[in-house]
Amino acid sequence: MAKPNDTRQTNSSGLIALIADRSFYVLGVILFMIVWQIASALKLFGADFSEAFSPLAAILALVEMVKNGELIHHALPSLRRVLLGLSLAVVVALPIGVLVGYFKRVEQLTYVVFQFMRMISPLAWMPIAIIIFGVGDVSVVFLLWLVAIWPLILNTSHGAGRVSPLWVNMAKTMGAMDIGILRKIIIPAAVPDMLTGLRLAVGVSWIILVPAEMLGVPDGLGYFILDTRDRFRYDQLMATIMAIGMIGYLLDSVNRWLINKFSWKN
Amino acid sequence: MNTESSVLISVRQVTKTFKKNGREFCALRDCSFDVMKNEFLVIVGPTGCGKSTLLNLIAGLDFPTAGSILLNGETVTGPGADRGMIFQEYALLPWRSVLRNVELGFEFRKSEMSQSERHAEAMRCLEMVGLGYAVKKHPGELSGGMKRRASLAMILAIKPVILLMDGAFNALDSKTKMTMHQEITRIWETEKNTVVFVTSDLDEAVKLADRIVVLNRDGSIAAILRNDLPRPRLGSAARDPDFHHRFIAFREMVMNIIKKDAGLRTCAIS
Repeated sequence: MAKPNDTRQTNSSGLIALIADRSFYVLGVILFMIVWQIASALKLFGADFSEAFSPLAAILALVEMVKNGELIHHALPSLRRVLLGLSLAVVVALPIGVLVGYFKRVEQLTYVVFQFMRMISPLAWMPIAIIIFGVGDVSVVFLLWLVAIWPLILNTSHGAGRVSPLWVNMAKTMGAMDIGILRKIIIPAAVPDMLTGLRLAVGVSWIILVPAEMLGVPDGLGYFILDTRDRFRYDQLMATIMAIGMIGYLLDSVNRWLINKFSWKN
Repeated sequence: MNTESSVLISVRQVTKTFKKNGREFCALRDCSFDVMKNEFLVIVGPTGCGKSTLLNLIAGLDFPTAGSILLNGETVTGPGADRGMIFQEYALLPWRSVLRNVELGFEFRKSEMSQSERHAEAMRCLEMVGLGYAVKKHPGELSGGMKRRASLAMILAIKPVILLMDGAFNALDSKTKMTMHQEITRIWETEKNTVVFVTSDLDEAVKLADRIVVLNRDGSIAAILRNDLPRPRLGSAARDPDFHHRFIAFREMVMNIIKKDAGLRTCAIS
């Protein structure tokens, strides 16, 4: 059945197929909400709390928090802390990662210590952070920094370590000095791994943020969780959890976009 | 005195050994030869006989165990932009476009060239290798032949006195290979470089070389042969029956030298 407008049909049917394909992502979210709603209707979370824990209540509370500015009031300090912790981690971790990846001796010197350190939850450092920096922003940012540097260092060093010796030799035969090799070959070659490290760092920072903000700061999403609990506003608590998940998802999407945009493929 | 002045590279009693799994292997054994200015020298030999090692030594990426390599009478102490090396594998940077790859060499050196002069020079080199139409592409989008051309342009841009080519046209289909032979011959003739070319393809060696250095399996030199076949040797010239006859005869001669050596010796000295 060859028709003159065959190609357009293939295009539009391709688009429909794409939409049908992607709709499964949305469907998953809807199914999750339905199961959650049914579970609260059946009072599976306990007779007293189930209604407040339902997605419907949470969404209504979320709308209310967006309208009265409470969400922004707590989300902004949280984002500020995470971004500050990440920026400081990037500044420290990228040079270290390149050195560790490129010089075998530096890798050997640091291997055990780094593998040991990255297995310790930064929350374990909480009392020490408070002794040194006191209660407040600095302690929170310190903990976020501490959790973000390990994935950044380890991934950057992995990237710098697998630079093809062929590229380095080629640069040498072109008359490149060490600085030139570092700037033009090693660092750009490690960019995809740095971005992967950044993605992991953003993920763990966002996770650690909530308990870190329970350290006695007067705002932030972590603080707000405790605040809603103390005010018995469980619908707002669920709404805050939803917001934390959504913002985390957005942050991760930005990272995936960065990886797609700046990663080179062989 | 006159001949002395035209010697560009001098390989003097060079021996190179490697340690592999605790055993010592001799890649090059007491090799001596000269490369003249503007000469097209081809090194042939069985695989693993040290051809690439020899090229690495001339490039200054590695150093002889014994003997020395002189460049303009001075010992080679490291790599330099006077010797451009084209590797067996592609050394293109996958995150840069073809044009930006060719511009790489300029970025390593202080030069008075402006950005637009660099761009123009890179374009000239890409035109020379016939890649002027694909400058915006990334290495991942190129075919094998295009990658060879791009690597060649990259090296030409740094204006090396000596082109070191290590199996540069291996793994290309025969048609692309033929075109590349024409290109490299033309570039060599117009740019007046000196070429040291490593290959295991005897056809290629006889087509390109002024002289052929034949290496033995044990890393010693079997023969240094002058190739008196007239140029041009490619394209329509190759179809001349007399030329063809001489071509085959010369190739057979090289082949026999390699065959005589085959299987008779081993490289290991324990």
